Amino acid sequence: MSLPLPVSTDMGPRTEQSLTGPGPSARAVQDQGEQAGLRYEGRNLEKSFDGARVLSRVTVSFAPGEVHTIAGENGAGKSTLLKIMAGIYQPDSGELWLGDERLSGLSPRSAQHRGIYLVPQEPALMQSLSVAENLFVGILRRGRFRFNVDWAAMRREASGYLQRVGLDIDPSQKAEELSIAQQQLVECARALVHRCTVIFFDEPTSPLTATEAGRLFEVLRALRSQGYTLGFISHRLDEVLAISDRVTVLRDGAMVMSRPRAEIDRQELVKAMVGRELAARERVRPHFDASGGKEMLAVEDLTSQPHFEAISFSVRAGEILGLAGLVGSGRTEIAETIFGLRRADRGTVRVAGKLLGHRTPRVCIDAGLVYLPEDRGRHGIFAEVEVERNVTAGIIPRLQRVGPILKPSAERALAMQATAKTAVRMHSLGTLIKALSGGNQQRAMLSRWLLAEPQVAIFDEPTRGVDVGAKDDIYRLIAQLANEGLACVLISSELNELTVTCDRVLAIYEGHVVGELRGPEVTDAALGALVVGAHLK
Amino acid sequence: MPLQAGRPLTSGISLRTWLGLLRRREAQLVLAILAVFALSSALHHTFASASNISFILADSVATMIVAVGQTIVVLARGIDLSVSPVLGIAAIGVGFPAQDSNLNIWLALLFVLLIGIGLGSFNGFLVAVVGIPPIITTLATLTIYGGLQFIFTSGQEVVNIPNTYGQLGNANMLPGIPWVIVIGAAVVGLAHFFLTKTVAGRAIYAIGNNADASFRAGIPVRRVLFATYVICGGLAGLAGLIYLCHVGSADATTGSDTNVNLMSIAAALIGGTTLLGGRGGPLGAALGAVFLSEALQAMISFRIDPIWEPAGVGALILIAVVSDRKGAPARQLFRQAFRRPAGAPR
Repeated sequence: MSLPLPVSTDMGPRTEQSLTGPGPSARAVQDQGEQAGLRYEGRNLEKSFDGARVLSRVTVSFAPGEVHTIAGENGAGKSTLLKIMAGIYQPDSGELWLGDERLSGLSPRSAQHRGIYLVPQEPALMQSLSVAENLFVGILRRGRFRFNVDWAAMRREASGYLQRVGLDIDPSQKAEELSIAQQQLVECARALVHRCTVIFFDEPTSPLTATEAGRLFEVLRALRSQGYTLGFISHRLDEVLAISDRVTVLRDGAMVMSRPRAEIDRQELVKAMVGRELAARERVRPHFDASGGKEMLAVEDLTSQPHFEAISFSVRAGEILGLAGLVGSGRTEIAETIFGLRRADRGTVRVAGKLLGHRTPRVCIDAGLVYLPEDRGRHGIFAEVEVERNVTAGIIPRLQRVGPILKPSAERALAMQATAKTAVRMHSLGTLIKALSGGNQQRAMLSRWLLAEPQVAIFDEPTRGVDVGAKDDIYRLIAQLANEGLACVLISSELNELTVTCDRVLAIYEGHVVGELRGPEVTDAALGALVVGAHLK
Repeated sequence: MPLQAGRPLTSGISLRTWLGLLRRREAQLVLAILAVFALSSALHHTFASASNISFILADSVATMIVAVGQTIVVLARGIDLSVSPVLGIAAIGVGFPAQDSNLNIWLALLFVLLIGIGLGSFNGFLVAVVGIPPIITTLATLTIYGGLQFIFTSGQEVVNIPNTYGQLGNANMLPGIPWVIVIGAAVVGLAHFFLTKTVAGRAIYAIGNNADASFRAGIPVRRVLFATYVICGGLAGLAGLIYLCHVGSADATTGSDTNVNLMSIAAALIGGTTLLGGRGGPLGAALGAVFLSEALQAMISFRIDPIWEPAGVGALILIAVVSDRKGAPARQLFRQAFRRPAGAPR
């Protein structure tokens, strides 16, 4: 159990010399001031997951003494980019340069040794250990006998680091007693303890309130003035404009803009983030005017703090209503609350006029409301089970049986009928569902819910993990169901998906409905501006 | 540059400290032990006698030592179900040579440690090197070691132990303080020191909290995991010798017949160590063992049939685990209320 790093009481960031020894760049950096970090560049980075291109030839450069924001919509590749730069992912091609040194085969550990630290989106502290211990884990300060821990020295040192990130807490407090905002700052202090000078923040503000985010920015500014190299992900316009020295915008994995903050204004930024040159896909079906139809789902004042508040909407028979919002805006939580997976603080849900009191998934299914979950792998399929049983899983109580024993022929006939309707391509009903492609798994999930004969269906990211060709089929299937009178709610972070499918879209931002677009008003640009909070001053 | 951020420290440290102390499982257990003691002595005048107290403590030592080892494994998010045959094999392994050829007690100590460390290393190898989940590994070795214990005894029993052994198990070191209590206290004290004050000990807590993050922070996770099973095996071996000396006999079912597995896990859980790892410690486990021993004595003095003991132990485990969880949602609510106040401006 040896310790990798030497013990040092120097509180400043790691200097050039301790990283690579004296060299030409060392002098250059020292000219800028003693505590300067290093320039850290990614050149022509490319990355694909399962054949889907996530980053294509992205080149970014993070400079010391600068807050460099990576902005863009969900799925633009921001997180992937920073994770590559922090050694968590390996790029498929491209180079990483720290100062004059090319880094290859970077791992989270070796990145940390070189002074690169990524503060994760959700703080990953060891909850039942003290703050001091969290700061020093892996490099615990040793006492006189080498095998023992010098708690007093560690607590003393820890207070110093905590103060530098603006935290006035007792270092012997347990991590679990801290708020999320405080935990994030502890993560940041951890970067300082490990003498990292390149610090990335992966969307740090999404779990924070405005005041908390303000405090985090003060810390960022302080670190910037000390010459740290800071990278930061955000999709909130105000933040991007407030904190950045340089802004790089990614869209669909490609860099669309990288300019100093001073040269851009709000309008340009919105355009860069949501503007799409590619021709919008054609609508799946003409806009449907449902105003005469029967109200099938009515949600009134639904609230579940801290995720969302006072959500009211209704969906009529044959209508497709979209819920647009970024990941973390509360859309999935809204759906899960309607379906009885989460408890609501207040509010009511009516299905076809009938009030659902104590909602559980069973109650909702019986009332004619079904929910197709976002995370198919975890909440949808039974991976090791045949397609047949996956399809009939939603209606087990209604299956025909002889005494207590299910009647296999009846079950098979139902499954056959349902999978034919959604055109699941498979070898046979006995195929294990995990052997199917993402698109076909999703069709099988749709068949499951069709068997329940729903009147209302909530589709949460129905095309996630589905390849492009199959996406259109799923839109068409949803449109067909709507034509037959199903009231549909479609949740998506892909705006174009909503534009081509929905008759009406509610934009959700930070747990609130911030706008409603109807018929031809539903465009990518209008939606994009709403979901990133462009309506806010 | 000190910035104002975060909630200010709550003032009134003393009150906070006191309440915090009461929230600690060790403090609760001490209160529970005193309560049972007070109740039993009130109803039974001999319960409070010095000899009875000494007996309760001495009787808990074998369980206590195993529970300390179990705690170390559980802290790293493992579990060791094979401690009872390890204790049994150690007890007969030195019991026969002691009975037949008066084995020197220091050699016996060395042997039980070697036996325990050997068997523990096999567990550690399977878990940390081969990568089999702890519960499966030790369930398998429970059966393997249990079978070996039967084979080694080949139907014989240890019934006669040399005087030195008996004295270690039952005689007093100082007036009123038996040797075994001193040994038990020493083991607990050393384990506490190891877990709180050494780098290796803290690595165990870190791994129990988050093995992945520990690995990334440079902690040699596999080596530490391996070590926890070795330590646990060694302590189970030591407990075998204590058991032999204290009870005076050993046979093919020693360890299993007194349910050492269950009792060690029970003591650890009652002592506040969670099976999720990273939380708890040997002081709680020691108090848990004392509490179990005291409860058994109380049952006997109330003339409750000992047949009820296992059911009682099970109930205590449930109480301990539920009372641990009960605090959690309340704390979470409290925290959430501060995390994002309702209707906070954004």
